[in-house]
Amino acid sequence: MSATRILAVARRIAQGFRRDERTLGLVFVVPIAITLLLGWVIRDSEAGEVRIAVVSEETFRLADALTVAADGADMPFEVSIIAAGDEGGARDQVRDGTADIAVIATELPDGPVTVVTEGTDPSGDAARIGALRALMARAIAMMIPPELNVAVPEFEHETVFLSADADSMDVLAPVFLGYFAYFFVFILTGISFLRERVGGTLERLLATPVTRGEIVLGYGIGFGIFATLQVLLLIGFTLLAVEVPAIGPIPAFTIGLGVTSVGSPALLFLLAVLLALGAVNLGIFLSTFARTELQVIQFIPVVIVPQGLLGGIFWPIDQLPDILQPVAQVLPVTYAVDGLREVMLRGADLSSGTLQLDLAVLAGIALFFVALASRTIKREVA
Amino acid sequence: MTASVTAAAAQAGPAVEAIGLRKSFGEIHAVDGIDLALQPGRIYGLLGPNGSGKTTLIRLLAGLARATAGEARILGTAMPSRPMLARIGYMPQAEALYPDLSVGENLGFFAALQGTRGRDAIGRVLELVELADRRGSPTHELSGGMRRRLSLACTLVHEPPVLFLDEPTVGVDPALRVQFWAHFRRLAKAGATILVASHVMDEADRCDDLIFVRSGKVIARGTSAELRAGAATTDLEAAFLHYAGLDAEGRPLETAS
Repeated sequence: MSATRILAVARRIAQGFRRDERTLGLVFVVPIAITLLLGWVIRDSEAGEVRIAVVSEETFRLADALTVAADGADMPFEVSIIAAGDEGGARDQVRDGTADIAVIATELPDGPVTVVTEGTDPSGDAARIGALRALMARAIAMMIPPELNVAVPEFEHETVFLSADADSMDVLAPVFLGYFAYFFVFILTGISFLRERVGGTLERLLATPVTRGEIVLGYGIGFGIFATLQVLLLIGFTLLAVEVPAIGPIPAFTIGLGVTSVGSPALLFLLAVLLALGAVNLGIFLSTFARTELQVIQFIPVVIVPQGLLGGIFWPIDQLPDILQPVAQVLPVTYAVDGLREVMLRGADLSSGTLQLDLAVLAGIALFFVALASRTIKREVA
Repeated sequence: MTASVTAAAAQAGPAVEAIGLRKSFGEIHAVDGIDLALQPGRIYGLLGPNGSGKTTLIRLLAGLARATAGEARILGTAMPSRPMLARIGYMPQAEALYPDLSVGENLGFFAALQGTRGRDAIGRVLELVELADRRGSPTHELSGGMRRRLSLACTLVHEPPVLFLDEPTVGVDPALRVQFWAHFRRLAKAGATILVASHVMDEADRCDDLIFVRSGKVIARGTSAELRAGAATTDLEAAFLHYAGLDAEGRPLETAS
């Protein structure tokens, strides 16, 4: 092992980057832009208005009761109540889009209340029916005569970690740190190493006293530096929230997502770098099986997408079907996501067993791919 | 020149040796039992058509591929040997340069891998290939001939006593080709052993010794004059066809039984 040669390999990667503005943009601007866009969509999307068409027997006056209940209620939606003449009319309003939900309460008090939705937006329906349920409870509570002295309890929501008003961006942000680093580093190393093979420079490298281990380490350091800078930038962007005041026609805006993190940024960094080191060597390894740059891109649906689906980013691992759970357990992104969430959301430090496991597995995976990548370089000198 | 070159020249015996060297890819024998003994201070021309096994032979000699049978030795050491690689200059057929790096950065990189320090080594070799004024230019902006010169510079930067040059003058204009050969001659005079693979016969007269290869076998060897005399012709191309057992239009002289 010669430090000079390892550094020479790392320096050549950095020198190549310097003149490649598009790749620099891909590494540093794109992740920020995507995170910004996602934060914007998740945080500032309009909750919208829920229009409820109500049919009930004259005596219950459900439409009036719901209107009163909706007035002054702290609801996630703007609610408007439409009194419909009969069941057919209410259903038609849902079909032609003038109402989001039809509440058919003609069989009260003995029969059930039928709720009709349009049906093509299941998750939206669930949220709207939830809102309707809360509204109903409020309306019923208001109908109870005060002299009966029955109180319908209200919930106070408290949380152990984060604050109760944390949104899905707070939970997703840690994941982007890991996933972006993984994705870009994998693609860049894969293509870069493919070029070494195809362009003949690998042949020329192997005609010098450089060892395979030195090449792999040099690559790790060279791309690691860029992955590190990327991760630092993303951590900063995720955690900071700098208010920029309005200047002239430009309205005031915030730089950064202002995600609340309770853990140490150094641990976030360590997790992301271990993940990236694995990705560098996976890229080197898989480039053996590609002859063109397009074939490296073809590995994205094979390597990157399944990790996005199964790595616990959107669905927790323990909620996955039994067959998929063992698959999720071998994906590096799974451990990075888990570790990043432990640190950012639960404030775990090195004494946490979960975090220790995550770090150990990530280090193990990185070492495994370093060994694998070294072996594939050897295949050249068959 | 440098101490290493002098040491190589002083060494007894051939600088490059092949003993029954064979490389098979399945049924195909790319190199089929070749014996060589190349002496320091001489330029050897490895001549043969495309696909005759020239590149595979060079890769075996340079320790870039492992022989199926037989042995390659450089300066008395069996290849592949990592320490020996620092004493070999290998110029591959492909350009094998980093297009995103500047001329100086490409050279600096290969010099660092070879353990050559100092900017004067890089400056000297850049003067030699007349690229000193392009040191800071990105390699992808160079012309094909300039890239060829840079590729040669990367091969020479550590002043190796043994040189394997795989078609070094492809795409090089005639004036520069003359300079390339003049430089190869200077290196040989200083004690270097040079093996140049080519499929253009008009370069052969610049070599001291010629090795004709076809289908992985050596079909003839000797000086240009000897080979011409043996084939009773003044034309080296005709001589090659003679030794290959082909007629003037490249067809076998005797029908295969």
